[in-house]
Formats: sequence, C-alpha cells, structure tokens
Amino acid sequence: MKIDLKNLNIEKTHKHFTDGDFTIRDLVNEYLDVIKEKNHDINAYLEVYDDIDIQIEKAEKIFKDGNATLMTGIPMAIKDNMLCVDHIAGASSKILDGYKATYDAGVIKQLKEQGVIILGRTNMDEFAMGSSTETSAYGNTKNPLDTSRVPGGSSGGAVSAVAMNGALASLGSDTGGSIRQPASFTGLVGLKPTYGTVSRSGIISMASSLDQVGPIGKNVSDVEIIFNAINAYDNLDSTCIPLEKRKISNPTISKRLGIPREFLSGEGIDKEVLKNFEESCQKLKNVGYELVDVSLPLIKYSLAVYYIIMPAEVSSNLARYDGIRYGLSEQADKLFDVYSRSRGKGFGKEVRRRILLGTYILSHGYYDAYYNTAIKVRGAIKNELTNIFLNVDAIITPTSPCLPFKFNEKIKDPIAMYMSDLFTVPANIADIPAISIPSGKNSEGLPYGLHIMAPYLREDILFTIGKDFEKQV
Amino acid sequence: MKLEDVKKLAEMARIDMDEVEMGEIAKDFDPILAYVSQVQEALKLNNIQIHTGSQEDYFLNNVMRDDVITNQPGEYTEKILNNTPDTENGFLKVKQIL
Repeated sequence: MKIDLKNLNIEKTHKHFTDGDFTIRDLVNEYLDVIKEKNHDINAYLEVYDDIDIQIEKAEKIFKDGNATLMTGIPMAIKDNMLCVDHIAGASSKILDGYKATYDAGVIKQLKEQGVIILGRTNMDEFAMGSSTETSAYGNTKNPLDTSRVPGGSSGGAVSAVAMNGALASLGSDTGGSIRQPASFTGLVGLKPTYGTVSRSGIISMASSLDQVGPIGKNVSDVEIIFNAINAYDNLDSTCIPLEKRKISNPTISKRLGIPREFLSGEGIDKEVLKNFEESCQKLKNVGYELVDVSLPLIKYSLAVYYIIMPAEVSSNLARYDGIRYGLSEQADKLFDVYSRSRGKGFGKEVRRRILLGTYILSHGYYDAYYNTAIKVRGAIKNELTNIFLNVDAIITPTSPCLPFKFNEKIKDPIAMYMSDLFTVPANIADIPAISIPSGKNSEGLPYGLHIMAPYLREDILFTIGKDFEKQV
Repeated sequence: MKLEDVKKLAEMARIDMDEVEMGEIAKDFDPILAYVSQVQEALKLNNIQIHTGSQEDYFLNNVMRDDVITNQPGEYTEKILNNTPDTENGFLKVKQIL
C-alpha cells in the first residue's frame, strides 16, 4: 500500500488510524522508506532511532486502551539538541561526541506519554548558532525544495525532514528565529511559543533567556495540535509559567493588524520579499482584516540587543563543556590544557567566535556599555510592543529579509548571516509568540513566509490569523 | 580589536586557538561591535521607557521548592559515569590541580 504522505496532516492521520485504513506501523514504514531514499542526499537526519518498534507497540497499546489523542502514533523528528534518554544528543557539535542522554527532556517526555513516534534526531547549526545549518559539525543539510540552497537554520534538519516527507512534523528550538526562518525557507509553518509555555528542561541550552522549543508542520492546524500537546508546566524548568498564570481573561480578537513601516524600509531587505509581503497584506484585507501602520521606533534595535545578550549567555552556558564529564576529551598534562584543548578541538568556528564575543561583552570595563545597556533596551522594546498590542491584535512582517540562499553565500560574512534574524528576533527579545506561515513562491519555486507576532500568551491569535491566511494562499 | 586582546579572551574562555583564527576574529569583531553599539544610541531616544528599578523585576522571579531529594540514590550514576571520558572506582578522574 502507498500512503499519500504529501497531503497527510495530523487530523487525517488520526482518522485513518481509527478507521483502520492503515496502521501506525504502515505509516512509519512509509516514512522510513522515504528517509532511506532521500536522507543520504538531503542529510536531514543525523540518526534514525533503533527503538522505533518498541515505540510503535506502546502507541498501539494506547490506542487499544482507548487513551489515544490526536498525537498518538504521529511520526515526528526532533532537533539534535533535545535529550531523549539512552540516545545520542549532540547539538551537532563534536564537543558532545558520543554523549548519551541520561534523561528525557520535558517535551520528549510529553510526546512519549501521548505515543508520538520519534523517528530520530535531525541536523542543526552547531549549538543552534547559525541561520543556514552550515555550522553543523556533521555536514550541510540541503533544502528539499532546491538542493543547491540552504534550508535555513538553525533547525535546518528538522524542517528538511518534514519538507522531504520524512516525518509528518518536527520539533525545533528558536532563540532568534531558528524555527521560523527555516520553516519559511522550506514552505512550512513554524511556531515560536511564548517564553515559558514549553519546557526547556533537557534542551541543550544556547541562550537561556531566549531559547524556546516549538513545532514545525505542514499547516497551522498541525502546529496548533502539537503546541497544545507540549504547552504544559514542568517543575524542572524554573522559567516555566505556572498554569494558573496562563489564563487569558478576555480572549477576543479585533481583526486589526499592525505593520511597522519604518522597520520594513531598512537596508538589506529584498525587493521581491517586500512585494510578496504587500500581496500577503492584500490577502488579509480580502478576508476582513484591517491593516494599520504602527510606529515601533525601538524594534530595529532588537538585533543589536540580541547580539549582546545571546553571546553573553552563550559564553556562560557553554562553560560546562570542559572535556571532563562527557563528550570529547583531549588529554594533556595540566588540567587547564585539558579544558582548552578539548574546547579548542570540540567547538566549531562560529561557536568559538560567539563564546569569545560573550566573554568580551561580559568582561570588566565593557559590561555596562554592552550587557547592561542591552538589558535596558530589551525592557524598553518589550514595553513598546506591549503598548502597541493595546491597539492591534498582531504585528505582521515578512519572516526572512531574503529568499533561501545558496551554500557558502553568507557563511564568510557574520553580519550578513546575522541579518537573517532581523524580523524574527524581536519576539524572542519580548518573550512573545510568533509564527511563520508560507505566503507563496517566486518564479523559481522558492518559498516566502509571512511572520506574525502576537501578545504574550496569545498563540490563539496566531492560529486564527494563520488559518484565515492559509486559505488565501 | 588587537590580536593580543583576542589571545587574552581565548585564554579566559579556555579555548585553544591558532593565531590565524584569532586574527580573523579580531577583524570580525570590529564590525560586530560597531553594530551592537547601536544599543547605546537607543537609550538616547526620546520617550524611551526605561525601567529604573532592579533588573530582576523585568525577567526574573524566584522559584522555590522544598529541599528534598526527588530521585533514588544512584538512579543516574551508571548513566552519568558511562558518559565520562575517564573514571576510576566509580569516581570521575581529573588531572591534579595542585
């Protein structure tokens, strides 16, 4: 039997399972066949797990016991920075060479409880530092839509796994755009949830005040279903928001959206991208949305704030990789040399650069000028967005300032690469939810994405607008 | 930035690097630092709402729990030790520091 993987979604799959059209095993085997056929070229998966049979049996039992949810039996891929007990987790870095997770990440535990089939772990920029998946220590991942181009990053493997029909959906992580930009580059939907809604326990940290796990899928509904499955409190993550604080008192929507015009007139934004954005605006008007220009004078500083706070947190978070407790270890006579040789050999170039940048930013004499100033501006950006949301439901922009680019096009120029996060970073800076939704393709078949930001905890607004928009594309 | 400064940073960060790469980083840092210095310009804007209290009020609050052991003794020992590069009699082995 051949299953039409391309047109499958979570709800349809669940119905096929309950109607007995095909079994979980049938579906998983189809995905494994695709992976076998395509992965050696695309390099989305770093590893396909060897315990899939056991996972299938568990999911079948959940169905038999009458406890199945929409997620039960859904084949998913995860990013290589999520701990899945007894499996290797490496954040695509040599420094974690051979590291086996000693426990399950909060999100992995939640997916397992619902009988999700975790097919394997996917490639990423090393420690999620990059926008093209080219900084991985395990080779490039190709964009399945055009294999001469990058899939975006850092969750490049997680999006390519879905885009090549090697998984129904996946989990990525997003520190400055690492779910949304690659989703945009591969014609998928990607959600960065509100900071604190999804557990970070067991996620290999990059910048802890910005990192958030979120779903990648083929449509808004799939992403919503997965978000609901992982939107939970976890006492192992002290920044997780208690459930009673997540209730929205007045969940209304006025259908008014804001466009930050000045932000769109900056340098480095492709004309094609802006043209597609105007078309998206028209589509939203067609379905009854009112579009207003909003002034957000501080939002353009988000990227500068990000490139201070992120490396500062990176330099402290990555201090734990010392060659002593796990992963790569270089032998030397002195302890200092064990540290520095292991770290020198284990970390890739971009990671080394960001650790040094963070070390500089946090060093005596510069701390006030950079870090303390960035923290103040971060707070001010947050205030600015909170105030604007009193007048509009959401803010829309393109997801990426450019279309999927070719390999080696930006890797040598850090600032050009950092610009990839221009539109996505503000949501991380302000802790608010944001989504990328496919908004059409250019003449070469390269995909565009529409980016929507909503107020704190208002993922529901993103899903409502997203579904309305999706029907128009 | 000077090569000497990068050398010092690499030492502080405990990363062994060759001089060629440190030279490249020294060159890369100037445009990056110029770019991020924009944050100082942001502070000078009119009507900017800067929080004047402690930083903690913005993003942080204390999360407490009872001081009790929540796992079984030795529950993770084997798995953790299996990951360590060098062990002896159930201990993690490191180089002498003194």
